[in-house]
Amino acid sequence: MRCGDFKESYLEDEKIFQTWFVKFWLGLLLVCLLLFPLLADAYMLYIANIIGFAIIGAVGLNLLTGFTGQISLGHAAFVGVGGYATAILMTRLDLPFWVALPIAGLVTAGVGMVIGIPSLRVKGLYLVIATLAAQFILEYVFMHWESMTRGIRGINVPPPRIGGFVFDTERSFYFITLILVFLGVAFARNLVRTKWGRAFVAIRDRDLAAEIMGINLFRYKLAAFAVSSFYAGIAGGLWVAFMKIVTPEHFPFSLSIQYLAMVIVGGLGTVLGSIFGAVFMTLVPELLNVLTGATKYLFPGMDQLFIPLKEVIFGVLIVSFLIFEPHGLAEIWNRTKNFFTLWPFSY
Amino acid sequence: MRGTRLATALLVLLSGVLAFSPALAQEIKVGAVQPITGRFAFAGVNINAGLEDALMIANEEGGINGKKITYIMEDGQYQLDVATAAFKRIMSRDNPLIMYGESTGLGKAMSPEIKDRYKILYSSTSFSGELADKASNPYIFVPGPTYADMIGILLKYIAKEKPDAKIAFFYSDTEFGKDPIPYGREMCKKLKLDLVAEEVAAVGAVDVTSQVLDLKRKGPDYVIFQGYVTSPVAEVMKQCKDFGMKCKFMGTFWGATKTLLDNLGPLAEGYLAVNPYMYWSDENVPMIKKIRAYTQKKYPKVTYRDNSYMQGFMTGLIFVECLRVADKAGQLNGEGLVKALQSLKDFDSGGLSAPFTIKDNKFPVARIWKANVEKKIYEPVSDWMRLDD
Repeated sequence: MRCGDFKESYLEDEKIFQTWFVKFWLGLLLVCLLLFPLLADAYMLYIANIIGFAIIGAVGLNLLTGFTGQISLGHAAFVGVGGYATAILMTRLDLPFWVALPIAGLVTAGVGMVIGIPSLRVKGLYLVIATLAAQFILEYVFMHWESMTRGIRGINVPPPRIGGFVFDTERSFYFITLILVFLGVAFARNLVRTKWGRAFVAIRDRDLAAEIMGINLFRYKLAAFAVSSFYAGIAGGLWVAFMKIVTPEHFPFSLSIQYLAMVIVGGLGTVLGSIFGAVFMTLVPELLNVLTGATKYLFPGMDQLFIPLKEVIFGVLIVSFLIFEPHGLAEIWNRTKNFFTLWPFSY
Repeated sequence: MRGTRLATALLVLLSGVLAFSPALAQEIKVGAVQPITGRFAFAGVNINAGLEDALMIANEEGGINGKKITYIMEDGQYQLDVATAAFKRIMSRDNPLIMYGESTGLGKAMSPEIKDRYKILYSSTSFSGELADKASNPYIFVPGPTYADMIGILLKYIAKEKPDAKIAFFYSDTEFGKDPIPYGREMCKKLKLDLVAEEVAAVGAVDVTSQVLDLKRKGPDYVIFQGYVTSPVAEVMKQCKDFGMKCKFMGTFWGATKTLLDNLGPLAEGYLAVNPYMYWSDENVPMIKKIRAYTQKKYPKVTYRDNSYMQGFMTGLIFVECLRVADKAGQLNGEGLVKALQSLKDFDSGGLSAPFTIKDNKFPVARIWKANVEKKIYEPVSDWMRLDD
């Protein structure tokens, strides 16, 4: 039984996996994730992939909104830029997916930095409006730059392949998603404990104070936008390669709100929170869908009433989470963990 | 003794299961992702009812050569990610022979997989021309004319009524709005109609003054709406009337609903719409009679079914016909269904539409209807018009 872990240096305090206990459970989780595709059907794997993309996107947004304090309502548009960049690179230049994806990430990071420029002058709600404008401008570009994006018809994208192996099913794609989620989360988790991460947090807490301490606001704010957009771009590229098609309808404004909801529900300023948020926001509506779908067998003829009810339930769930734990799911997780730390001998 | 009884019980149970399993195999599954909630719900609920009713009526009449149809529906909320998830859920859980989709977007998103992986017959709420493409989407069909065909039929009607007429297109900046416009331009040239204006306004736009002023300047004889259901159609018509313009207004399938007539009120005088199906009010049509009787029996509270219901119903009739043909040929799978679909010639829908003959995975036939303001119904002003004759 654990009865406490004692740290003797700051280095130990900064460790990601602090005890063997954590390592063990994370290892087990990884094994489960690796075994999952052997047991799951196509639908479950589809959801798992979608959750993976959402995690990458949400981690990116959390770096910007949760850690740096720059609220963005344009995240879906960045996801879209990544998606389109991947599609265009793969179809126009015939680049393999593995090359197109990182380039798409960099392109999105570039676009994100341009959109991030106003953040140097405007803050808070005003920045929200500026990023909102980006959402609409980019959506317009997707739809009307027809020579490049093929407008509303969209672009068909070939699936990724290595040699003769084609990643065209949910099962095979799951492994790409899993690896990238792992890399994305690991990078973010490490980023936030470097000089850069601390600069982000300093800017969030009080940008004026941060500047006085010698943090270059211009550089770090734009860096936050760039990193966040890079993540969004990767999420978009994955989504497009997974769906094998991209149209402007894939990246509506509501998706931006959904991403923001993920990081808020999950917990602002924690990487773990983004994961919880992404899982929650993707999985719960699906579960509700299945549940309300099942009610129609119990109460035939009432499905017109029950099916719309899931939106209400979902809304109530989000509100109650925020009321009972404003720091999000990550905090609930922490409290649960703490409760069991000395269980059953806690004082 | 006890052991024998147990063994007997097990044997009975087993034989029961064995006897039951062929019965299960006799079941034909039709899946659907319908926009029951979300912004397309107004039509989705109707379309769902229409499709389900058509399949259930077929069941009552003996099913597909004795096999029963099971209808599996999930809500797609008219959101691409939700709909795709629902589609995949149905496919991996139930593995149906036929799927129905809620939007153009879903059809496009799923089209690569429908072709290469699932190989199932697919139709949807969409009249988009891109889905009705035999070469690239052999499994997908549109249960009527595409939007482009509808515009073509309207223009053909105009060319007959008033040669050299001046035309204006009024469309929304959405996929739905823009889909038939390039074809419409081409068709105007071909029919020697003068396309004088193209106006674009958002769905639900409130301020359409600049577009109406432009219309006034260009003085079209006919204004064709595309990509709207109600708003801003009423606003445009009202303002044009206020300016004393004498142009006639026209709409395609979603502008041929009763909802629009209710919304327009007296403004609807002279409004024309193109619709490939008969209306609830055409009581003498055998299939409408059947629908009315079934509705009265099953949903006594329902007193009207809009044209979107007829669309779902027609799709159901085509599904049933394809299933029958494929089953007779002993090829009850995607390939067989596509073959059956391609063999549809002068398919009799009991008068719900003209005899349907497939052409490039669609049925390019419709008629022009005129609004009757007093009765709040549409009345036909043309016979069935085909685009190819």
